[in-house]
Amino acid sequence: MALIYLASLAASTGCMVLLDYRYRLAFFRAPVRTLVALLAGLVFFITWDAVGISLGVFRHLDSVWASGILLAPEFPLEELFFLTFLTYLTLILLAGAQRLIDARGRR
Amino acid sequence: MTYLLMSLPFLGVSLVVFFIGLVRAARVRGKARRYLVSYAVTTAALLGLTAVFDNVMMAAGFFDYGREQISGARFILMPLEDFFYPIAAAFLLAGLWQFLQPSRSGHDPERKDSAHAATHRFLSDQGEPEHD
Repeated sequence: MALIYLASLAASTGCMVLLDYRYRLAFFRAPVRTLVALLAGLVFFITWDAVGISLGVFRHLDSVWASGILLAPEFPLEELFFLTFLTYLTLILLAGAQRLIDARGRR
Repeated sequence: MTYLLMSLPFLGVSLVVFFIGLVRAARVRGKARRYLVSYAVTTAALLGLTAVFDNVMMAAGFFDYGREQISGARFILMPLEDFFYPIAAAFLLAGLWQFLQPSRSGHDPERKDSAHAATHRFLSDQGEPEHD
């Protein structure tokens, strides 16, 4: 059991939270909108993963870097963190890009 | 081909959400361009990060794919189909983020936060009004 992968995902997500807090991009600007978007994104990607797993596309491997904890067959704990990170990162990128576009437009 | 085929409905849904967001954005002058440019920037960043870190994850041995279920085309270690995830993420979230935005009414609760606005006026004063 190793927590390297999980810790990397948590640290990366933590960095997104810091960016979000510093620049008031997503959750720290519109918490309800952000939570709804995050939840919808998570449901979307978990469903996609589940379809892939049921069709034998995605297969879990026991890695020396991963916890080995499975939340469902072929669906490790880290995948939930990864999908959360991917969704949150996408929101931060969108909100950050829009902030820059708005700032340039007013110069 | 299973990976490709089973991804099509998800790509389709994300595209529909993206176009709903675009129609919403286009109601305000100048917002459609902002919507499309921020989407393009986000997609480029996500594709770049995926190209690097999906290969790192493959090398770390976190997961594998059914040999019969993927096309076999790969970028270094990752199957090309894995790029569908970041592509769909940008479509879906761009649309949702726009769609969930409250319509402009001139009321911006952020402006009441004067202490904060004083230090962050340049950054926090930009953009759309919020209602959460």
